[in-house]
Amino acid sequence: MASEHYVIIGNGVAANAAVDILRQGDPDSRITVISREFFPFYYRHKLRFVISEELQEDQIVVRPPAHYREQNIRLRLGQEVQRVDLKEKTLYLKHMEKVHFTRLLLCCGGWPRIPEVHYTYRHHFTIVKGLSHAREFKEKLAGVKRVLMVGGDLVSLRITETLLRMGREVLFLIDRDSFWPLTLTDEIRTEFAERLTKHGAEVLIDDEITGIEEVAGIEEGTSGYEVTTRREKRISCDLVGAFFGLVPNVEFLFSSGLDIDRGILVDDHLQSRNPDVYAAGDCAQIWNPAINNYWVSIGWENARLLGEVAARNMLGESATAGAPKESALDYEGLKINTSWWHIYD
Amino acid sequence: MTELNGIDVTFRICGAAGDGSLAAGSFLNRAAARMGYHIMNIDLYPAEIRGFGKSVAHTRISDRPVQTPGSLADCLVSLNDLHAITELDTLAEGAVILYDSKPPNYVEEDEAIAGFIEPGMIGYGIPLGELSSIATKSARSRNIVALGALSGIFHLPSEYLRDAIRERFTRKSEEIAESNIRAFDLGLEYANTRLVKADAIDFEERVPGARDDVVIVSGNEAVARACLDAGVRLYAGYPITPATKIMEILAKELPKQGGVVVQTEDEISAIGHIIGGGFAGKRSITATSGPGLSLMSEFLNLAVMAEVPVVVVNGQRGGPSTGLPTKTEQSDLNIAVFGGSGDSPRPVLAPADVTECHKLTVKAFEVAEAFQTPVILLTDLFLANRVEDITWPEGDLAIWGRYENRIADPVAAEDFKRFVITPDGVSPRSIPGTPGLHYPATGLEHDERGMPEYSPENHLRMTEKRYLKFNTLRDAWPAPVPEGADGELDVGIISWGSTIGSAREALEHLHTTDMNAGGLFPRLIWPLHEDALKEFSSRSRNLIVAEGNYSGQFANMVEAVVCREVIRITEIPAGPIPSERIIEVAGGLNR
Repeated sequence: MASEHYVIIGNGVAANAAVDILRQGDPDSRITVISREFFPFYYRHKLRFVISEELQEDQIVVRPPAHYREQNIRLRLGQEVQRVDLKEKTLYLKHMEKVHFTRLLLCCGGWPRIPEVHYTYRHHFTIVKGLSHAREFKEKLAGVKRVLMVGGDLVSLRITETLLRMGREVLFLIDRDSFWPLTLTDEIRTEFAERLTKHGAEVLIDDEITGIEEVAGIEEGTSGYEVTTRREKRISCDLVGAFFGLVPNVEFLFSSGLDIDRGILVDDHLQSRNPDVYAAGDCAQIWNPAINNYWVSIGWENARLLGEVAARNMLGESATAGAPKESALDYEGLKINTSWWHIYD
Repeated sequence: MTELNGIDVTFRICGAAGDGSLAAGSFLNRAAARMGYHIMNIDLYPAEIRGFGKSVAHTRISDRPVQTPGSLADCLVSLNDLHAITELDTLAEGAVILYDSKPPNYVEEDEAIAGFIEPGMIGYGIPLGELSSIATKSARSRNIVALGALSGIFHLPSEYLRDAIRERFTRKSEEIAESNIRAFDLGLEYANTRLVKADAIDFEERVPGARDDVVIVSGNEAVARACLDAGVRLYAGYPITPATKIMEILAKELPKQGGVVVQTEDEISAIGHIIGGGFAGKRSITATSGPGLSLMSEFLNLAVMAEVPVVVVNGQRGGPSTGLPTKTEQSDLNIAVFGGSGDSPRPVLAPADVTECHKLTVKAFEVAEAFQTPVILLTDLFLANRVEDITWPEGDLAIWGRYENRIADPVAAEDFKRFVITPDGVSPRSIPGTPGLHYPATGLEHDERGMPEYSPENHLRMTEKRYLKFNTLRDAWPAPVPEGADGELDVGIISWGSTIGSAREALEHLHTTDMNAGGLFPRLIWPLHEDALKEFSSRSRNLIVAEGNYSGQFANMVEAVVCREVIRITEIPAGPIPSERIIEVAGGLNR
């Protein structure tokens, strides 16, 4: 086992759960973690506190780089895998370095999803997925009076609360089909709207963007947007926050020979069609015999469990990813199961 | 050593031989010095002569005078990742790494420096090779592209860098100069348009005060220039690192002044030549390093015994034997002071910086002539090769004439005693060929006329004579003036040679604390100014001696004078002792 080199792409909760199991189960192995983000493993759900400056960046760190050094784990941050050659068991990094592996775990997470219908406006959208986005969001907020939130996902509700607390005006445009990962019933949509309104946000239901134009901002000397909607409303705002959920980050795997659908197709042992390649977390599309379909997990705890399962199997055990642990979005008493999804547009 | 309130930035440009890292460093030095910044540069390269060894240009740029090159770098430029990876432990916290983001081929695992950039570092990837190829149709100007990028990232005034580049390449051809300017501009443009600045180093396009009189000079170049200024007529030497540069310069320049350079078959021959030159009344010098000085020991004794003025420059490097040819050390003090048979007193001088390399070389000739003795000038590899911004001393060289160069009066020809006992030990000497003033010059003990004479009484008289003039020199040489705080000191720091810079920098830091600290930095290392040492010691609760050797060679000499145990900072780190080390030791002392 001493010759194993486990390489994990990603540095989120699934990756770190896997790292712990791998190091414990194979103390002499080489372990390398490669992350596109140039920041150590952090609590994503605390990004909104970085935006509001209630927390400094280092206060949301789960594990500093020193932890990896102590565990004899090579941590490569800010490095991007461009291509995977499964035959040669080699990763090709963007900065022109090859990294060889014996077993590969893909925990590469997801990218902010922009629905096709809104793709034209992507340059006007501000998103919050990772720390760099949170930094950008925070910087942009400096001259901002009014924010338009479009789409809607689990993160957007919390960010809306944060913005309102920071004294910004928020207009929330809830579109039934774009509230990821759910298709909202009229009843739930109304309930969300009521709660957002109670917090001080203005809410537009069942409408969607049909145009965005960059104009002078609400505050003198700033720039902003003039947004038009299907219901012919004209909305002036300084920033458009777009929250349409995530899509698995798998583009770099297209030429690898792995089976890719929305995410990386793996069996319930989280093993891909290549016996030495596993996937866990947001990027994995996991076969679930119970529903006779693939599913993708959501949430910190699910990702952690999947990371552990993948690592155990990489070590030669036989662990199964069972039904995802239930976790519910609880928004002011409105509870919705949000632990997994398996369809979207 | 980044200082955000002022400019104090240390760069390391690292590549394989032929990548142009040293050239890039020299452009950076030249430009920064002309802007009015103070610089200190040291080029580092391996001992082995081969095509692809690592070479590093280490440059510190500051808006205040600098005493040391700084121990940790704020910015590493990688022109060769395999070599640059070995430099990672020389980086300060938050250091910037600039690397080629598009090398022509994929490299194997752990062979790309970008793979080692961690939180706490800032990486800027620039397609150095690609931009160079666009500008010059070859990747050879990657170093120039990198300079352009540095200018853009850190807001270094670009016109000064362009001038430095143009000056160098115009010597080759206008076309080469312009293509390299294009390479520079592409690097600059890339940094300005494609990189997001994430570091805190900012020169703000500031030019503290453009200077035309400034020259960028190494210790070796200063010694060579001093030889020309002092009217040297003979240089004889055998090539050796780090002294060879002196011979290279003089081989070109000395004949223009009517002088002669002889490359001898070995160091014994070299000192033999210059003893002949000195005996003939011509200023003569050789330059060597430890192994060469060892070979010269016996001829040095001849110069002592025959009272012949010669100057020997010894650029110290790691020893013993061939040792560490390209690493600095201060471990030749014992052989300089004590090496030789019998009681063989010879003055030893040690400059602290490049300016003093010039001044003390001139002074060495003066002392050699006035006291009719070999003089050893101890530099070291760090001092010999490091580059500083200096201005040449003004024309009159005030130190001329301080000591009398006693030449015998031909009137005395009837009873000429070349080694006559005088009150100060110095006897008027004659220049060969002067009618009537001929005498035997021998390594044998002799009487006042130079005739061999072995009686114990004569030997004692002549030994006392040789030591008397030695003591006369000590009395004539200004005693070292203590630096720093007056009165009782929590810590006194004694150092010599190139370590003085680190000691001074440590003192500057200690003065920002509540510690009462002072320094004593002799340049005349032998004979010692014993009274000055005793006085300084008596005021110092703790006494540190800092020097770049293992056994504490100067500490041993100081302890013998001050009759107390000193705290030794005796390190051989292959580079200069960092000031931080002295601060650390001083900071941990009881007060």
